[in-house]
Amino acid sequence: MIATLKRPRVLVAVVGLAALLAACGSSSGGSGSSTLDGGGSSFQKNFDEAVISAYADKNPDVTVNYAASSSGTGKSALQTKTIDWAGSDSLPKPDELSSYQGGKLLYFPTVAAPITVSYNLPSVKTLKLSGDTLAKIFALKIKKWNDPAIAKDNSGVSLPSTSITVARRADASGTTSNFTKFLEQVDPTDWTLGHGDTVNWASLPGTTQGGTKNGGVAQIVKGKEGAVGYVDLADATGSKLQTAEIENKAGKFVAPTVEGAAAAVAGAKLSPDLSYDPINAAGPNAYPITSPTWILAYATQPSADKGNALKAFLSYIYTDGEGMANAAGYAPLPASVIAKAQAQLNKLQIPTS
Amino acid sequence: MTAVSSTGVPDEYISSRSRSSGVWVDRSFRGVALGAGLSVLAILALIAYFTTKQAWPIFQFDAWGFVTGTRWDPTNNKFGALPFIYGTAVASAIALAFAVPLSIGIALFTNELAPRRLKKPVIYLVDLLAAIPSVVYGLWALAVLESPAQTVYEKISDTIGKIPLLGRVFGGVPSGASLMTAGVVLAIMMIPIVTAISREVLATISQDDKNAALAMGATRWEMLRACVFPRVRSGLVGAVMLGMGRALGETIAVALVIGSNQKIDSHIFHAGDSMASVIAHEFGEAASQPRYRAALIGLAVLLFVFTLVVNILARWITGRAERRAAL
Amino acid sequence: MTTTSVPTGWVGDRSTSPRRRFADGVASVWMIGSVIVALIPLGFIAFYVVAKGISVISWSFLTKNIPIISDSAGGGIAPAIAGTLTLTLVAAVLAVPLGVLAAIYLNEYGGERPVARVIRFMADVMTGVPSIVMGLFVAMIWVSAGLHRGFSTLAGALALACLMLPIVIRSSEEMLKLVPDELRQASDALGARRWVTVTRVVLPAAIAGIVSGAMLAVARAAGETAPLLFTIGVSRKFVPRLDAQNTALPIQIWNNAQEPVRAAQDRAWGAALTLIVLVFVLTVIARLVAARFATQER
Repeated sequence: MIATLKRPRVLVAVVGLAALLAACGSSSGGSGSSTLDGGGSSFQKNFDEAVISAYADKNPDVTVNYAASSSGTGKSALQTKTIDWAGSDSLPKPDELSSYQGGKLLYFPTVAAPITVSYNLPSVKTLKLSGDTLAKIFALKIKKWNDPAIAKDNSGVSLPSTSITVARRADASGTTSNFTKFLEQVDPTDWTLGHGDTVNWASLPGTTQGGTKNGGVAQIVKGKEGAVGYVDLADATGSKLQTAEIENKAGKFVAPTVEGAAAAVAGAKLSPDLSYDPINAAGPNAYPITSPTWILAYATQPSADKGNALKAFLSYIYTDGEGMANAAGYAPLPASVIAKAQAQLNKLQIPTS
Repeated sequence: MTAVSSTGVPDEYISSRSRSSGVWVDRSFRGVALGAGLSVLAILALIAYFTTKQAWPIFQFDAWGFVTGTRWDPTNNKFGALPFIYGTAVASAIALAFAVPLSIGIALFTNELAPRRLKKPVIYLVDLLAAIPSVVYGLWALAVLESPAQTVYEKISDTIGKIPLLGRVFGGVPSGASLMTAGVVLAIMMIPIVTAISREVLATISQDDKNAALAMGATRWEMLRACVFPRVRSGLVGAVMLGMGRALGETIAVALVIGSNQKIDSHIFHAGDSMASVIAHEFGEAASQPRYRAALIGLAVLLFVFTLVVNILARWITGRAERRAAL
Repeated sequence: MTTTSVPTGWVGDRSTSPRRRFADGVASVWMIGSVIVALIPLGFIAFYVVAKGISVISWSFLTKNIPIISDSAGGGIAPAIAGTLTLTLVAAVLAVPLGVLAAIYLNEYGGERPVARVIRFMADVMTGVPSIVMGLFVAMIWVSAGLHRGFSTLAGALALACLMLPIVIRSSEEMLKLVPDELRQASDALGARRWVTVTRVVLPAAIAGIVSGAMLAVARAAGETAPLLFTIGVSRKFVPRLDAQNTALPIQIWNNAQEPVRAAQDRAWGAALTLIVLVFVLTVIARLVAARFATQER
């Protein structure tokens, strides 16, 4: 009895260690050729997940993963090559390019979508905000909803005296980058924090609340009356948030819709590396805070399996994927851009074996 | 089956001493066991070494600025950790304010007041609080506690918050995600550990001493004040410090409800941030940028040192109190 | 209601002044009130987890993969359950033998020697190290720097093992202490070497308590999130390999809690209930094992 009691524990330990060693040993040899790990922006999460889901139905042998967190986290993981592709709404700065351990990057634009200014005021059915007012709100220069500046944009609407609570991203976000780019362009006097994945919210004269991912900001807005924050359209719709109409360059107040985003993208100039900037675009129907999205990948692919899988997945996005954009809450790219993106697929250097 | 001699004793017993190789086995077994024990020291040393080494760039660059700087701005390479140290301290202080009276009260209840049948169930239930994973605490606090908490804070802010000096602490625009909520959640999580140690400390006072006081006509409260509290004071301090160590290191529940406002703000109903929760939220994106990563690991080093100091002090104090009571 | 041996006529003496009795009453209210106030959150949490989780839990919830579209209802958390079980099993395999051996050293060989006292003290101190520091440590030496092996289930298990080790050492040492010295002396008198005594007599006698302590450590590790954040990566399917990324119940709760969409919140509560049940089952089995074999002690 004594001896047999002792054996099972030792046996379990030995079996466990053996399994451990076996599992470790089996890692080499094309680690998961049928897995394509992606991660990054929560802004494009809903589109990426819709495409991956449809792609999985057609290609059950390939597993595409997308870990939504933030553009910053995605880019960071791509730098250390812990993921195969990154979803990002902001592109790396020139001095950051050397941190990418896999070499040269290729930018594949996928869709575009409006960044909504979501707010929580049950008594205010429609809210119009000009660029100046928006910048003042987020710079904490306007503290209450019935401020004259907001009233000026909304003549005839009775605004409550609720305090404004600004919700923003706590993590490094491409959405923040695009949103602050807009504020910086329309009102550099009031908005002095510049633009970027993170800005120094703490230097503002007051308190802001940080949420993680677009969902986190939506959560703050949803939970507090008087809160206002920037959230992608899909998450704002999913959380049933109220969204404001923003004044565009042509002077018209436009609601955040897929059509407004498409109009903003239509007029944007595409650079050779397929980057473009639809923020504060010209055009009467353009939604001024439209965010572009890209998939970042290394030009030199590590293995034939991964490279071919990535190329096939991206091709799928440009053929069938773009058609799913509207339903997911995003604007598809213009045909000319899609053509250039498909041409860039050939720049992927895939090893032959 | 082991071979057994006629007396029923396994052969190995009898033959092992006479075999000289037995000495070698004995010594190596002892060595292996000692090695296993030393692994604890090894792991602690490795943690200390590697975290300090990875955080070294930030300490070398500007250690003083790191610990006292009030600006945390990764894009511009500014890493001032003071807002997080402040937030951690405030949330822990709020937690202590709630947890200490409650825990000592519970410990006194189970040791002094409770009928025999109630003692074990109460202890069991309070210990259950420790079994709940911290992420479940966080989920509950986020989804259930925040809204009603905000209403309560708003009422307090509208009343006490209007008084000039108190308004700096209780005023402002309250939010459910705040230092106060984090403190309350930490308090609930601290209660089981502070109670358990307090109970042990209280149990060191002999029943005879208590009887003597009661025999002289003291009420229970007077008996406690006269012969229990003076002698357990340092032990209780140790218990409280152990609870504080737990609160300092708590990451997940706090990260979900503290609000991520990286600023030093005197208002406890405003959002704040703590060392552990900023690591949890930002390490993913910092993993590849050397300075940023070093700064976050630097926060971890600070946390490690703080909790180490608090724990060592606490155990020394509690140990001394128990040794003295045993005399 | 008195616990002393003093004649009842002396206690509750009627000549005690009202002020003194009032103070005593307030103290009693404080003690009883503390118990009630502390147990209220326990009741609340238990109620909400069960109420919100029970409507989500179903056979398909426990057996299906995590849906690709994270904001959609449907799918399940089976990979997270498998991930948690795998992580805790591997962590136990790493930490329990090491911890038991260390406890054997402390109790059977070390005694009050300086080395043993230092180890004992440091093991106690190690239980106070924040779990996020453990996770960062493994992330630094194994995952994103140092050995650079990337996110993996093994990395997560390593972090959990570091967490479990001091708990296993302390509880195992307590169990070994409970084994009566007469057994050791008898074994010694029969001519057994120390290692034979330890492995053939002491360990089997304490095994129930040790297993029980190990299971409690596993229950604790199963609920930890911070050590997993930067070690196991993410996955929506369970991959039965130690070098692959996986997910776990606490990670699912952590992620889904922060998404305001109904489907994500439901998934978080369902995972929370599953986790609580898992921890509860482990704890109950641990107590049963300890109680059952305790009666067999001679």
